[in-house]
Amino acid sequence: MKKYRCTICGYIYDPSLGDPENNISPGTDFNDLPDSWVCPLCGAMKDEFEAEE
Amino acid sequence: MEPKEIKENIFWMGAIDWDRRLFDALIPIPDGTSYNAYMIYGKDKTVLLDTVDPSMSGVLMSKLEHVKNIDFIISHHAEQDHSGTIPEVLAKYGTAQVIASSKGKPMLVDHLHIPGDRIITVEDGATLDLGGKTLEFIYTPWVHWPETMVTYLREDKMLFSCDLFGSHLALSELYCTEEWKVCEAAKRYYAEVMMPFRTNIKKHLEKLEKYATDIIAPSHGPLYNDTECIIRSHKDWVSDSVHNKVIIPYVSMHGSTQLLVDHLTDALTVRGITVERFDLTVTDLGKLAISLVDAATMIVGSPTVLTGAHPIVISAAFLANALRPKLKFASIIGSYGWGGKMIEDIQKTIPNLKVQMLEPVLIKGKPDSQAFSALDKLADEIAAKHHEINIR
Repeated sequence: MKKYRCTICGYIYDPSLGDPENNISPGTDFNDLPDSWVCPLCGAMKDEFEAEE
Repeated sequence: MEPKEIKENIFWMGAIDWDRRLFDALIPIPDGTSYNAYMIYGKDKTVLLDTVDPSMSGVLMSKLEHVKNIDFIISHHAEQDHSGTIPEVLAKYGTAQVIASSKGKPMLVDHLHIPGDRIITVEDGATLDLGGKTLEFIYTPWVHWPETMVTYLREDKMLFSCDLFGSHLALSELYCTEEWKVCEAAKRYYAEVMMPFRTNIKKHLEKLEKYATDIIAPSHGPLYNDTECIIRSHKDWVSDSVHNKVIIPYVSMHGSTQLLVDHLTDALTVRGITVERFDLTVTDLGKLAISLVDAATMIVGSPTVLTGAHPIVISAAFLANALRPKLKFASIIGSYGWGGKMIEDIQKTIPNLKVQMLEPVLIKGKPDSQAFSALDKLADEIAAKHHEINIR
């Protein structure tokens, strides 16, 4: 599972950590995040994220 | 000043900051501002909604002088201009509890050192019956922090919207009767605080549309007893549509960039495009932010100084980048003496702008007829681009 980077603020979504504060359990692939999920640092939508190489 | 009655058992308890002229140590607020707190008396419970900036805590505390009991303080937003007087209110009312969103609680602990055991959290959609007055808490994250929520008072059809729909406008009355005045102040507020969260707000507006609302009571500026204009304006601001407008923030040192800006202003104007330009050495940044709300195109003008872009231009470009406006096109014009990396400096500063970059016009020395032709070509291109996306 790939990490994804927010192109607005640089926050990295790491699937192995998930986003527990926003009810996303560790092990959740970026593509399985609900559409309502936003960057926890700047509120950017999912489409502002890019896969980390 | 005494509390002002909005409706039976509902009072404005805020403080008017007539003389404040700068917000966030960044944006000028020519008309001052207010910090609005509200009190609701139910048959069984009494609730204070938000407080005031700690610099004006005395104003709120004097309004509370004859209030014997408060059961709950609702904290919609943990930023200090609303939450800053909560500790003083808690100290006066020993059994009062703070109500916050699940993300609001830790923020209140971090920012104000409020003891966690005095804060209770509510989930999105939770209700609180005060006795004849029912409050519904509605989560509205990112207006403009992650923890923000608003409260709907069902029986009175009132929306306590905190920073959403706010304006920086000091006014002795509860309502502003001059629509243009509050609209510009609200646009300035939206531009600086809310614009980066446009897509989040769009969803919240849809969510809030389901709540029949007679009065909107925000945390800054006047209340709205006619909600049509402020909601229509917000819908336009958060929409994807842009206006047939080019904004030109610029600096000129010895007049070359000024000549370019003058020529481009005329060239765009004759093509039927609205131009708003800002000499950044004298401009009110709030006005620039307002223009960014709905402009289609931004052309940044800069001379070359110390081998790069002018630092004042970089500062404005950095702000525009942070505000994430819905601009569609951008370009850079300017001049240089013998060399430099002015264009790259500006381009590097605006990665968040999802714009199509048009060919910059960079001139050595004083602009000549060739330079003006290049600007005419840029104006033609802008007009064509605006036409392509159906704005005219």
